[in-house]
Amino acid sequence: MISRVHQLKKILNNVEKNVLQIFGFPPRELAMAYTLEKRLPQPKKFTIKDIVGDGILLAVPKFRRTVEKRLKRKFGSPDYVWKMLIPKTNIIVCNSCGHYHERGYICGHCYKKVEAETKEIQDKIQEKLGNLKPIENDVIVLYNGENLPEQPKEFWQGKRIIEMKKDRPQWFSKNLLQKSTQQPSESKDVKPTDLA
Amino acid sequence: MNQADVTKLVSKLRIKVPDQHRRLRSPKGPEGRLDKLRKTVTGLIKFERIELNHHRADEARQYAERLISEAILHGDCHKPTMEIADYWLLEKELLHKLFKVLVPRFENSNTAFTKMYKAPKASSGRNIDKAILELRGNPYPLLTNKHSNNRYLLQNVLLDAAKYEYRQAKYAEMADKIGKNEEISQPKSDDVAKSKPINEV
Ligand SMILES: [Zn+2]
Repeated sequence: MISRVHQLKKILNNVEKNVLQIFGFPPRELAMAYTLEKRLPQPKKFTIKDIVGDGILLAVPKFRRTVEKRLKRKFGSPDYVWKMLIPKTNIIVCNSCGHYHERGYICGHCYKKVEAETKEIQDKIQEKLGNLKPIENDVIVLYNGENLPEQPKEFWQGKRIIEMKKDRPQWFSKNLLQKSTQQPSESKDVKPTDLA
Repeated sequence: MNQADVTKLVSKLRIKVPDQHRRLRSPKGPEGRLDKLRKTVTGLIKFERIELNHHRADEARQYAERLISEAILHGDCHKPTMEIADYWLLEKELLHKLFKVLVPRFENSNTAFTKMYKAPKASSGRNIDKAILELRGNPYPLLTNKHSNNRYLLQNVLLDAAKYEYRQAKYAEMADKIGKNEEISQPKSDDVAKSKPINEV
């Protein structure tokens, strides 16, 4: 019974509300106002990419280097690697060509010539005498216009003679192939010898 | 006293031999080291002058010296020597060279059979000590010119001139001194004072 009355009352209320609302009277009862909620941006997780973006990141020192380490890096250590420029005191002048070289080492300028000539003779020997044959005799190198030194014929028996098709370089002393004593000459001009 | 003369049994090298051998590292170990040295010794006997790293040159030099001295000591009819030579010379035609060319060449020498020089350092690139190793009596141009004794070398000409001038100056000084002393002691005998310094010059 009570529910029926309640239902009726509800219907009447609804009619009253809807019909009277057309005329805008009475004002509506208080109710909770509903507003569309605007969502706040969530705080994103921090990544290194936010800072770097398209660029690149360089490694940077984390701590300051000590003074000692900085000086060691700059100048080295006299006991191990000494980076300062020190004057060399072992440089001497070559007696035959006048270039400088270190004491105890062969003069670079002279050696270049000797090396090239040596290579040439070696190539010639290899080319002429070839490989795979038993080597039984010494080699004698002759340049253009040079004859065998005076020796008995038996001495030259079977010697391998290499003829270089060019003149003997001026600096290549022929002393080894010359007689040890020469006839005293008449002329009084002094001939320069062994010049570079 | 039946001891054999030891010096005749063992070949004494004429070069300085260090206490320890160099390792000459190689992935094959000690065998690889010997292989390297064999190659070098073969090259030395073949070409008579080679340029290579200093350590390897110095190490190979000792073996080459030993090989030649053994060959001189025992000759080519000695079986162990032949085996040694066969091991150390990779190219077999060099066996003939060792016994027929090098042995006669070095038989009567009383110096070392090889010579080693320090090669000039490269101005750029790896700073490695290079050496030039050669057999004595090779046909190639000499590496060092020993004409410091040559009278016509420019330095010697200049030095001689300087010495001569210095001597002349000294004599003149002495002559002056003697002249003065004599003038004081014997002012009358002028001719003696003048003649003396001239004789000395
Ligand atoms: Zn020079």
